[in-house]
Amino acid sequence: MAFEDLKREYTERQEKALAMGGEAKLAKRRNAGLLNARERIAYLLDKESFIESGLFGTSSVVPEDRDTTPGDGKIAGFGTIDGRHVAVVANDFTVKGASSSLTNMKKIGHVKLVATQRGMPLVFLGESSGARMPDNMGAKGMGSLLGNDPTQYIRSRETPWASAILGPCFGSSAWYACLSEFNVIRKGAVMAVASPQLASLAIGETVDPEELGGWQLHEEVTGLADLVTETDEEALDLVKTFLSYMPAHHNEAPPHRPVPSGSDDAARKVLDLLPESRTRVYDMRKILRALFDRDSLFELKPRFGRVAVTALARLGGRTVGVIANNPLVKGGALDVAACEKITRFIVMCDSFNIPLILFVDNPGFLVGKEGERQKAPGKIMNFMSALQLCTVPKISVIVRKTYGQAYLNMGGGRNSDEVAAWPTAEVSFMDPIYATHVVTWGRPERDDPAKFDSIVETMRKESGVWDIASIYAVQAVILPEDTREWLIRMLDVHELRLTGGVGKHLMSHWPTTY
Amino acid sequence: MARIEVKSEVTGTVWKIECKAGDAVDADADLMILESMKMEIPVMAPEAGTVADILVAESESVAEGQTIAIIET
Repeated sequence: MAFEDLKREYTERQEKALAMGGEAKLAKRRNAGLLNARERIAYLLDKESFIESGLFGTSSVVPEDRDTTPGDGKIAGFGTIDGRHVAVVANDFTVKGASSSLTNMKKIGHVKLVATQRGMPLVFLGESSGARMPDNMGAKGMGSLLGNDPTQYIRSRETPWASAILGPCFGSSAWYACLSEFNVIRKGAVMAVASPQLASLAIGETVDPEELGGWQLHEEVTGLADLVTETDEEALDLVKTFLSYMPAHHNEAPPHRPVPSGSDDAARKVLDLLPESRTRVYDMRKILRALFDRDSLFELKPRFGRVAVTALARLGGRTVGVIANNPLVKGGALDVAACEKITRFIVMCDSFNIPLILFVDNPGFLVGKEGERQKAPGKIMNFMSALQLCTVPKISVIVRKTYGQAYLNMGGGRNSDEVAAWPTAEVSFMDPIYATHVVTWGRPERDDPAKFDSIVETMRKESGVWDIASIYAVQAVILPEDTREWLIRMLDVHELRLTGGVGKHLMSHWPTTY
Repeated sequence: MARIEVKSEVTGTVWKIECKAGDAVDADADLMILESMKMEIPVMAPEAGTVADILVAESESVAEGQTIAIIET
């Protein structure tokens, strides 16, 4: 065959594949304000950096589908984000709802393997109707398509994975979203095991898609979304922001960034943000924003487990993972959702060589029936085990109270490598008033207000910072205005010099949802 | 106009009620202060509006998730 003919056929096939599901479907999306798969890839990656893998893949299961499945509905390949190499999988909803079938699953398997073996982050752009029918039906369909890779869903955290839920996501795009370190959902998109239609057919449940798996559910109730956006573009921007804090793979330290000017200013006045009364609440995030590099606080799951703050940030240009109690919510008493959020965050930071900074102000773990029904003791232990398994540096600052087991979970009792306390710190087993109730049970002092108050006063004094400093249970007492500098110096001291900043990753195979 | 149910985020006791039915409130204004775990925990208006009803009294126990006030926007 003449080379000209071959070239012409190549160009025709290429154009057909690049046209995705056709102009009519693409126009519909455009009018709805939605990007298509190739536009999403182009927006995400550095200009013209995308090199595709499997452009000419099609359905290989149903012969009649060969000409109607350009790319087999999922677009995969490699490119760069901010100059760093990444792998990407984008679902093309205009081709059979981006449903999963043999060819496209092989594509995902390939880029996943390459990303893992070559040390690149992997990004999933989710919008998929789930398994393709009839391809996956029947014993042969199941036997050849599903379950062919016994390592498919192992999450070893060798390179960071980021996921964006940009449309209905059932089946594989939901699975990969849950396995990812970071998951952003655009309003209107839905993530669930299966579609509302299937719920209706299978169990007779009529349910609104938002109720089944919409942004509000995942932002506030399940915590399976880290952040929520209005548009595709904002979601893709957040994926890039997340990746900017992370190393490209688990065998390197996270990247350094320049320190924005003015980062030291607010830190000097941080004590102004703390109420004088020890029983008044405040928003811990204001203190955090004042202490970390300017505009670097990137909070994850801000509306889930709100008693805790989990945020990536920078300190002197280095990525850190911030875990803080927020007294604004429930007085700072750690509840089950906060424990779950913190546990997952610890596992992520430790797996990717990100030091942890813990800001402590809590009256203990929240007690009561509600927490017990949610397995509070088990969740507290997950959190505790995770902290103890860390091999990244852990640095705690006790701002105000820290009571009971929560004292340990937030780094006390040698669970952090360094602990500093502000002069306002108070370390005790429980609030002095409760403790006085306990020790005076059945004794005359209980009914004598003067004696009772005197016991409370003694206990309060003995919870103060000088007692704990004198026995070296905290390594430093620092003035609030010196906190930023102390933290930067401690990060320098605790740098993992022996391994080039790389930890032992003892939790790299831990579960992804808590 | 919407009726917003303001719910308690904690199980505790109503310590101080800071408003009454008919008051206009800004978003984040303190409607009342609860006490739990020995902390003073403010319950704030989720949006600006008018206090339609306060459903609890000082010293009353409240449960997490219980509706304690109604705001009309």
